[in-house]
Amino acid sequence: MQELKNMNLGGNTGNGTSFSGTKEYVASEELMASVNIAIALKKPLLIKGEPGTGKTMLAEAVAKALGKRLIIWSIKSTTKAQEGLYVYDTIQRLYDGQFGVEGVDDIARYIKLGKLGEAFDSEEQVVLLIDEIDKADLEFPNDLLWELDQMEFYINETHRTVKAKHRPIVIITSNAEKELPDAFLRRCIFHYIEFPDKELMEEIVRVHFPDVEANLLQNAMEVFYEIRSIRDIRKKPSTSELIDWINALQIGGIPADRIKKALPFIGVVVKKDEDLELVKHPVR
Amino acid sequence: MFQDFFRTLRAKGLHVTLGEWLTLQEALNDGLCGSSLTQFYYVARMILVKSETDFDKYDMAFEECFKPAQRQTEVGAEMLRWLDKSDLLELAHEDARHHLNQMEEDLKIDKEDVEEKFKQRLKDQDTEHNGGSFWIGTMGKTSFGNMGGNVGGVRVGGKTGYQSAFSVVGARKFRDFRDDRVLDNRQFQLAFRKLRQFSSRLDIPESELDIDGTVDKTCNNGGCLQIVMKKPRKNAVKLLLLMDSGGTMIPFSSLLNDLFQAVHKSNHYKDVKTYYFHNCIYSKLYKTPECENGDWIDTDWMFRNVGSDYKVIIVGDAAMAPEELYSDSGNYRGPNGGLSGYEWLQLIKRKYKKVVWLNPKMAPGRAPWREAETAIKELFPMYKLTVDGLNQAMVKLMVNK
Repeated sequence: MQELKNMNLGGNTGNGTSFSGTKEYVASEELMASVNIAIALKKPLLIKGEPGTGKTMLAEAVAKALGKRLIIWSIKSTTKAQEGLYVYDTIQRLYDGQFGVEGVDDIARYIKLGKLGEAFDSEEQVVLLIDEIDKADLEFPNDLLWELDQMEFYINETHRTVKAKHRPIVIITSNAEKELPDAFLRRCIFHYIEFPDKELMEEIVRVHFPDVEANLLQNAMEVFYEIRSIRDIRKKPSTSELIDWINALQIGGIPADRIKKALPFIGVVVKKDEDLELVKHPVR
Repeated sequence: MFQDFFRTLRAKGLHVTLGEWLTLQEALNDGLCGSSLTQFYYVARMILVKSETDFDKYDMAFEECFKPAQRQTEVGAEMLRWLDKSDLLELAHEDARHHLNQMEEDLKIDKEDVEEKFKQRLKDQDTEHNGGSFWIGTMGKTSFGNMGGNVGGVRVGGKTGYQSAFSVVGARKFRDFRDDRVLDNRQFQLAFRKLRQFSSRLDIPESELDIDGTVDKTCNNGGCLQIVMKKPRKNAVKLLLLMDSGGTMIPFSSLLNDLFQAVHKSNHYKDVKTYYFHNCIYSKLYKTPECENGDWIDTDWMFRNVGSDYKVIIVGDAAMAPEELYSDSGNYRGPNGGLSGYEWLQLIKRKYKKVVWLNPKMAPGRAPWREAETAIKELFPMYKLTVDGLNQAMVKLMVNK
């Protein structure tokens, strides 16, 4: 982290906010730089990477480090862009109208802002996480181009324009399940989180378990990277799985020298039957 | 600033737009890169490149612009040029392989042998400019497509932390991510998802709430709620898959299996029909990949019963011998039906409006020495069986005319 300050990478973000990781989140210098540059250039930051490399946690860490509120918009396969802006609850209004509930003529009562709307409407600057944008329909990102560019949208029913009071810091994650449209990509700052190497991984594990026994960590990491290097493995274990495993090993009180031989609790790391077979009887 | 860099990036096939370029200038203006080349490397990459599959191209462009010929990394660039032209090299191996394919037993031994050698070479090669890269490069392009990815396993200088720009470039860390490599099942499925055409004119029950209709009806009804249902929109695409399972396709069998799985897992099609052929299509199409005599349908039957609204994907290496394609007795496995293979293909073209040919080992550009391939390219749009190629093929199947 010290190094980063010396390099002054993207440190000049105008409003004096700069991200340099947190106690709980170990970020590579490249990643920190990309966050700072995205903030400085006022563009959404698109994060890609293997599952389990902490894409979602990044937004939490950024929000925490900058002391800002985090708004999470989790994308599902059925999510529509419109839902992020606002939803006009017509059915509710219909029913209310039928029973003569008071205030039916006030459409604004039935307009509910979505996550994006909430971020725009907020009184202070917030961090907006659009999580797993690739889960949605192929056209989804295109439907948000204008809103993310101009940071405003128009509510047809009430003739109101919702404009961001403070441009939110937008972080978008993608698992690369779908190609994102070019027009959308052009507007983003892109960062690919590489799988952490051993040193960074050690740092990450120590953040979670400060008093982990050095021997245990060493053995577990060796097995872990060994498994990742098996060529035919179907699902490579990720950081979060290593952390779970080390936790299990600690709770189980497994002596460090048994880890390599017995592979205790290996099911925490390897989830597929075929992979288990490979790990137990490596073909080499 | 750095207009040359911009041009080089575009020449390398990166679609950097003016908008992105201006953003980079803005970043430079704001002093976000400091005065360090390393910082510039990262800042420019995060602004200009939007996919890890393109990092490798970016690395090469960066190298070309900011590092005048330097011995160590020059090899890296040269190696890629080798890979791009490997077709010629492959041709040299082709004859040998063709021979081996006749005897599957031999092939297996041969495969293992090569694999062993490959592993050995990987082990031996510990520096980037080791001449061994030549061999590994070639293999990456031949039947051992996947293993090409393993080249990355020998990481040169993949050190921790913030490296200098050039050690990153030199390591070519993102080579594995290039999307012109042969693809896997998941990517197949995603490509097939592009193939959809929603329609609500299908013969299915009305099971979805029609909100607009309901609002309309209710208003006309004096505010008394009246629900209207409608048919859900469903994909109307019908697919006909014709797969070559001839001897020359054996090296690609796992790839074809993946493709087959992907089509059948993509259960959003209205209908999928799969038939097999051996080297070329004649009067019979087989129901199973084993292509056993008797277990077949008449191609004429297919013409009559599989409508012209089916979209057709033919998968094959288009490496027939000239007589297999042009002679009306060229089918050495079964009946010819009085027509040559080429004429049968022409019939398919006449019957079906949307046909694409996917070829796992298509030659890049024009390849006049591959006679059959060139002839078939004139009949059907042909794409290489990679992420890029499949995507282009799907687009071709969807667009009108």
